[in-house]
Amino acid sequence: MLDESIVQRVLAEAAGKGSDLAEIFVEDKRSQALRLEDSRIEDVASGREAGAGIRVLAGDRSAYAYTNVLTEESLLEAARRARAHLAADPTVAVDLRRQEPSARHPVKRSPADTPASDVVEALQGADTAARAAGAEIRQVTASYAAVNQKILVASSDGRIAEDDRTRVRFAVQVVATRDGVIMTGFEAPGHSGGVELLDEHPPGELGSTAASKAIRMLDARPSPAGEFPVVLSPGSGGVLIHEACGHGLEGDTLVKDASVYAKRVGERFGSEAVTIVDDGSDVGAWGSFGVDDEGTPAQRTVLFDRGVLVGHMSDYLSSKKLGGSPTGNGRRQSYAHLPIVRMTNTYLLPGPDDHDEIVRSVERGVYAATFAGGEVNPATGNFVFGMSEAYMIENGEIAYPIRGANLIGNGPQVLGVIEAVAADFGRKEGVCGKDGQHAPVTNGMSTVLLGKMTVGGTEA
Amino acid sequence: MTSELESVASAVVDRAQGQEQIEAFLTHDRDFQVKTYMGEVETISAAEPRGAGVRVFDRARVGFAYTTDLTDPGLDQVVADARENARFATEDEAVGLAPAWSAAPPDVPGLFDLEQERVSVEQKVEFAVELEKVTRSADPRIRTVEEAMYADSDTSIAIATTSGISGTYRRTDAWCYSVAIATQDDENEVGFEFDLARGLSGLDARAVGERSAIRALSILGAQKIPSARLSVIFDPYVAGQFLGVLGQALTGEAVQKGRSLFAGRMGDEIANPVLSLVDDGRVPGAPASAPWDAEGIVTRRTEVISSGLLTSFLYDLTSARREGRESTGNASRAGFKSGPGPSPSNLAFDATGGSAQDVLRSAGRALLVQDFHGVHSGANAVSGDFSVGATGRLVENGELGQAVKEVTIAAPMLEILKGIVAVADDRRWLPFAGSYGGATTLIQEMTVAGL
Repeated sequence: MLDESIVQRVLAEAAGKGSDLAEIFVEDKRSQALRLEDSRIEDVASGREAGAGIRVLAGDRSAYAYTNVLTEESLLEAARRARAHLAADPTVAVDLRRQEPSARHPVKRSPADTPASDVVEALQGADTAARAAGAEIRQVTASYAAVNQKILVASSDGRIAEDDRTRVRFAVQVVATRDGVIMTGFEAPGHSGGVELLDEHPPGELGSTAASKAIRMLDARPSPAGEFPVVLSPGSGGVLIHEACGHGLEGDTLVKDASVYAKRVGERFGSEAVTIVDDGSDVGAWGSFGVDDEGTPAQRTVLFDRGVLVGHMSDYLSSKKLGGSPTGNGRRQSYAHLPIVRMTNTYLLPGPDDHDEIVRSVERGVYAATFAGGEVNPATGNFVFGMSEAYMIENGEIAYPIRGANLIGNGPQVLGVIEAVAADFGRKEGVCGKDGQHAPVTNGMSTVLLGKMTVGGTEA
Repeated sequence: MTSELESVASAVVDRAQGQEQIEAFLTHDRDFQVKTYMGEVETISAAEPRGAGVRVFDRARVGFAYTTDLTDPGLDQVVADARENARFATEDEAVGLAPAWSAAPPDVPGLFDLEQERVSVEQKVEFAVELEKVTRSADPRIRTVEEAMYADSDTSIAIATTSGISGTYRRTDAWCYSVAIATQDDENEVGFEFDLARGLSGLDARAVGERSAIRALSILGAQKIPSARLSVIFDPYVAGQFLGVLGQALTGEAVQKGRSLFAGRMGDEIANPVLSLVDDGRVPGAPASAPWDAEGIVTRRTEVISSGLLTSFLYDLTSARREGRESTGNASRAGFKSGPGPSPSNLAFDATGGSAQDVLRSAGRALLVQDFHGVHSGANAVSGDFSVGATGRLVENGELGQAVKEVTIAAPMLEILKGIVAVADDRRWLPFAGSYGGATTLIQEMTVAGL
């Protein structure tokens, strides 16, 4: 992407005396996005963005400068600017050793070689299928997004690595309405790979699945409020692990002692059924890559082993402070952003139990089929998750849909109430926001029984 | 910076071929940010990002492309990409360019602070260090300051169209925030506060630091309360977030596309008769103010709710043309990398009279909400469902009582609008994903779910 001799000269300019590390991150990104709404192809967009960010670290301080002019002169100027913020003098040349990606994520049909007319056809297929699901369908929005991001990252401690990441996502949102009641259904698979995503998830199926969810929810009764057992459906419930456990185990939060999990390694938080990993090397998963945005190869990190807290996620800086090596969780939205500690694909590993038996064991409770998202405060572990698709369980059977339900609780506490984990593992793709940066992440889990949770609803 | 940008914009438009129409939208920023931790600089960042977003209209079809490469070949490429993309769009008679201005758009006063250019990096760092120090020393129970941040930007924006629009303006922004963590026994609570202005001199480190500490301290000892129907008070911060949800449902596009709980309700009484809701793109000092919007339409004031009656939606060009009406100047973009779309500019309820303390006193027994949790998932502008986590204090005849957490508050959004009986005079602008003027707001009754 950039001549290695230029990389060396820029690093030498940036790595001042008294600085611990200088790093250059170069990015060349192409994106394509199409969107259908009202049965019209409304947006057809593409973009090219190139730029480089230069980071200089000294003790606990980071200085950053970036530019989207990739000439040597402009890069040297950015390097000087970053170094000047730390008042360091330039040093000597740097030898670079190549880091190889730990995993390759195959691209069978490259987005660049896929005619836009194929994508238009896929969007229309989703629209037609969704509208065929019933007269209640009022609106269908379907979108396709493909990104190819080539990165080069090199640092003054001698590492250089490159990665070539292709991600494709296809989303369908359906609005259904009847007698003044409005409900939505949403399906949005994505992966690290090419347009073959649409072979694995045919757009017509996505359209009809989203539509039938929306129609089913039209019959929803208001959710009760109070304490109930809660069954999480495969895939979707993983957002709970992401929000309630993952964020508190990101190294930057731990360094600042701003995590409810700080200094608690070895402590038991859940039963033997609870093993949680973060795995950026899971082949083809949406949150995967070859090397992270600091050049560390992607890896699998165990966070909880059979209920016991054993690990955390780190980038270069937080690993220096917490001890150990970086775990390949240093990610950034673009060259314009400093790397921060992020999850990749976070999974509660499957267990021995059975979905139907879990549901049968609940006398009165809530079946959470789809979460609409959620948020957590890492310092306290408190979280809230809204459910866009949920049902009451009565006498061991899924009885009727409920609306306006949300789940409120606390991260460490939720691990403690995981009473059963089934074998039917599923993944859900999402975009996680932190410090104003967005990153693609996957959440994964099987059917899970939570013994007792607070459910918020409109029926007091 | 502005004149250079304007000439690149017209160079893009000059590439139009035959009958096609082109719009070029460019931005050039000078950004700075510093965060401190334990009295030292933690991160410091500077940059000058710039780029162009181009729309090519081939009769009734439009394509969009963007680039960071502003060289001649880069501009050739981005125009060619947008032209190619237009081939795949569905023909839509509603799409098109803004007409040329009949007169130069009037300036919006106070969009930039010329003093800001002379503020040194050292002064900015000093400000952030002070902000952290004030937060930390506000109370012995403040265990740590998770983040103290100062940032600013100096942005030039240019637009040019083949229909004859050519314009540029400049704005400066400075903002800061502080995140305090208060600890007592084994409990940690977090307090967030921010400030924004056109330049550093308009920011108050002491006030922000102290308020973030107070927000964390005031909820120490918080507990769940029994489920009940209660009066609820939104503080300005959460009232702004509520307006953010409401705003999504108030664009003409959301209504046309069945994505709004207000569809089919034009002219209806949808809110308490004391309520008026105004969108105004020209409020001096407010975050979203600009002389013209993201399509070049001159900004204006639009009354959305008037004494409880729904009187207007907010339109960009496409959604306005679909109804044969004029744009209300509500096109916005998330920078050069996206095309325009309708959204509120500066949206706020008119005050109904009285101070925040008056509103608190008038509420009897109520839950004062200081923080929402899970707004993205729990509030739905399509169905009107509103069910979110809340943290705050019980209020009894104006006196703050028990701190409350881990409860959810819920009511359909139309019921909330009907139940708003007072909006205090303490409005402040929240720049998060839009610009919303929040003020202390009293809602007669909502479901509070706790124990």
